[in-house]
Amino acid sequence: MTPIAIALSLAGLVALATVLGLAWRATTGRVSTRSGGARAGDLVTEPGSRATLLQFSTEFCAPCTATRRILGEVAATTPGVSHLELDLTARPELATRFGILQTPTTLVLDPAGVVRGRIGGAPRRETVLATLAGLSASTP
Amino acid sequence: MTTTSRPTLAARPEQRGIDPRGPRFSAGITAVLLLVVIGLALATPLGGTVADRATDPAFLLLAALAVLFAVGAFAGVARHPYGWLFRTFVRPRLAPPIELEDPAPPTFAQGIGLFVSLVGLALHLAGVPLGLAIAASAAFVAAFLNSVFGYCLGCQVYLLLVRAGLLRTRTENP
Repeated sequence: MTPIAIALSLAGLVALATVLGLAWRATTGRVSTRSGGARAGDLVTEPGSRATLLQFSTEFCAPCTATRRILGEVAATTPGVSHLELDLTARPELATRFGILQTPTTLVLDPAGVVRGRIGGAPRRETVLATLAGLSASTP
Repeated sequence: MTTTSRPTLAARPEQRGIDPRGPRFSAGITAVLLLVVIGLALATPLGGTVADRATDPAFLLLAALAVLFAVGAFAGVARHPYGWLFRTFVRPRLAPPIELEDPAPPTFAQGIGLFVSLVGLALHLAGVPLGLAIAASAAFVAAFLNSVFGYCLGCQVYLLLVRAGLLRTRTENP
């Protein structure tokens, strides 16, 4: 290949990787309503009176640690909200049950244990708080 | 209130946590070197004999990267040469890290890098055209995403392996 062709190939590769990175960044940590309506109450021994933040983690998961910290802080400072973290490495059947494709994945449960929102990747604190606010607004 | 179903997944007390920026710095160096590998692979016609192919520059550089991946995977990222570079030249210029991370995920990621590199080297020795370039490109994308965007491919791969039933937990089931 000519030097120009090589340079263009390398630039194209970097551009492709950048596009992939931006696409990932646009979707990670955001709330979706996928699997809304699914029931997860059986997994939670101490549900929150307003909401439960159910976090699925694995070993070897760097973002899970940051997520645990953020969700833990939200649960500690927001009344009625509890945080539970489950390790999929020990219970892989849960990954199939909820279609977990990345960790961390956080399911936001209402007091009845029904999934009302789902966050893939490490969420930002504001995202979690906004989701909880929306949950309270729509729950009778 | 927070409850966890098993002991903490963060850095264990007996294990020194690492500055999370270290692995990203290393991934950056790796990404640049992999671009060099790909450039060399594209610039050099595929040699006719195994000996030719084993001595072309792209192969040799990727083999050197494979050795570095092996060091990271088996000795841990904390003992990696890039880790030494980071601690000596970069870290002193940065503010202290907000939190330390468990070195296990980046170490696992080095294992993935090693695997992909070995595949590229094997394809090249077998005479597969562009085999090395494609493997190096895949490794480049992973290293680039980790360094620039903080994306953890190792974490993703680990989960998929757990789902496929190929990995057993290293702690007791609760």
